[in-house]
Amino acid sequence: MKKHSLALAIALLASSLAWGQTYSGSRAYDGEHRNVIDGTLLGGQNVVTGWFIGETAIYTRHLTDRWSVSAGEQVQFFKQLYSVDVMGTYRLPLGRTNLYFDGRLLFNRYDRWNVNEPIVNLSAYWETDYVDLRLGESLVRYHKIGVKEEYRDYTTTGYTEPLVMTFGLGVNIRPRSNPWNLGLFLRNFDQFYYENWNINWGVRFHATLSAAMKLYGEFNVRPAGSMSQLATRYETSLKLGLHYVL
Amino acid sequence: MCCKKMKKTLLSLSILSLSLASCDKVSPIGVLVAGTAVENRVKMSELFYRNHYNDKIWLVADGDYTFLVGADSHVTNDSGRMDEMLSIGLRDDDLFYAHLGDIADTKAEYYVTLDSLLQEAKSRYVEKNYRKVNDYEYVSNDNPDESPLMLQYDEIVYPFFPVVGNHDITHNGWALWSNIFHSSFYEIDVIVMLEDGDFAFDHLIFLDSASGTLGKTQIDLINRGILDGKYDDGTSMYRNTFVFSHTNIFRPQFFEFASTFTREETFFLLDQFEKWNVTCAFCGHVHTWDERNYNGVHYLTLDTMCEKNNPEPGDYLVRVHCDSDGEVKWSPVHMDTRKR
Repeated sequence: MKKHSLALAIALLASSLAWGQTYSGSRAYDGEHRNVIDGTLLGGQNVVTGWFIGETAIYTRHLTDRWSVSAGEQVQFFKQLYSVDVMGTYRLPLGRTNLYFDGRLLFNRYDRWNVNEPIVNLSAYWETDYVDLRLGESLVRYHKIGVKEEYRDYTTTGYTEPLVMTFGLGVNIRPRSNPWNLGLFLRNFDQFYYENWNINWGVRFHATLSAAMKLYGEFNVRPAGSMSQLATRYETSLKLGLHYVL
Repeated sequence: MCCKKMKKTLLSLSILSLSLASCDKVSPIGVLVAGTAVENRVKMSELFYRNHYNDKIWLVADGDYTFLVGADSHVTNDSGRMDEMLSIGLRDDDLFYAHLGDIADTKAEYYVTLDSLLQEAKSRYVEKNYRKVNDYEYVSNDNPDESPLMLQYDEIVYPFFPVVGNHDITHNGWALWSNIFHSSFYEIDVIVMLEDGDFAFDHLIFLDSASGTLGKTQIDLINRGILDGKYDDGTSMYRNTFVFSHTNIFRPQFFEFASTFTREETFFLLDQFEKWNVTCAFCGHVHTWDERNYNGVHYLTLDTMCEKNNPEPGDYLVRVHCDSDGEVKWSPVHMDTRKR
């Protein structure tokens, strides 16, 4: 119990994340542990905001073998980005693979620019031994807080991006159930943002520390521009987290 | 033993990743496609600006004035629409003509065509607006006879001001583009002579957004306030500010994808335009028309004037009317040229 409490404290304090993108192991209920905590520390450099550090934490509850719910938060210092989210998931087993249907509500606060960004995302995530694929769609809304009084009569202060496609691809060098793994990913979203075009990519890993705890992480390159625009350095970051089941 | 080895490998990988994360050299540009990055373009532009500070362009408007804006001409062998834009500007006495990037598709011969076109347009502009006083020098028709400002041909500024677009920089196109236009990040002041003998300043800001980001150097320069134009008491010296930039921020239509700017940079730009008290920001890139007002700033995204993309005649240009009282209106300008 003491060991569990310590691990739980480490996971929460060291902060974390998850929601499945960074942790590259299986998301399925293992038949024994209904509670999952993912915590991540992150840090990197962004062209607009400079250096940043942060943390994310996500709690997942497996209600049944098929249904789960989760809630998470993110704080990125210096970038002044604060996020919370809730998500519901249904898992459909397909032979040796799993197909997940995720419905998610996400709220980002970009405090540096007084912007709030609520997002609704629906996506399907297919998980095989070596490959995972996510496809979905987001409705993104952002609006400025504290608009000048004289603007209110003739200007809009919010904007909706109704068609933000979500796609992500990951590959592992070992089967997903292996005690350790190393892989590559390519996607147009991250744990707490969805982009229109910009594709971020990088290297990810996980390793088993004990029966209940895994270490995971990723090195993420987030370019600006895409396709006919030259991809230019925009943000690089590193994440390290703990995946804890109880 | 195996577990120890694995942990050691993971630790090494983590240290390597951390080192890479903190290194400026990490860039996907070399992996995806080669070209001149925005950082180098802005550094070159800043150097050009510093080396030519004494040549800084000031436009002078006598009360009301207009200017013409076009986008995405993608000049190839067919330069009809580009020629038409310059002819319209000359015919209607616009103070200047702004182009929102993707001026030519990246091939040396297309830039030769463009350069010839601009040289010819300048010649027509000088012929209309200047008189030759001797073998080498010209005087503006607006200049009073008592103390004429004599200019050599090369000193006469042809008022065509472009920003760089993504098609202008692929395949080392920057070398071609910069050879003609020199700078991708610059500003111009318009001195507006008012009826009561007073004058006002309007501000033109040209941003380099061709790579889908302004890049660190340009953002740092903006954050240092080099374009703010404030008096010592903190008030802005400008009556109107117009921003010209290639990459769009807003989606022209509901079913189309939005900007290629990242989340943070979108919010940075919207906030910066508000700080500059921008009257109107002009964008191109998506080849579709859009107009909206966000947070007190008017945004116009222009359709392409390229014959290939829009072969039929249409309203592809915008003319902005700045009244002497500072009021700003705009109207569409029709282009007749069809694809050859």
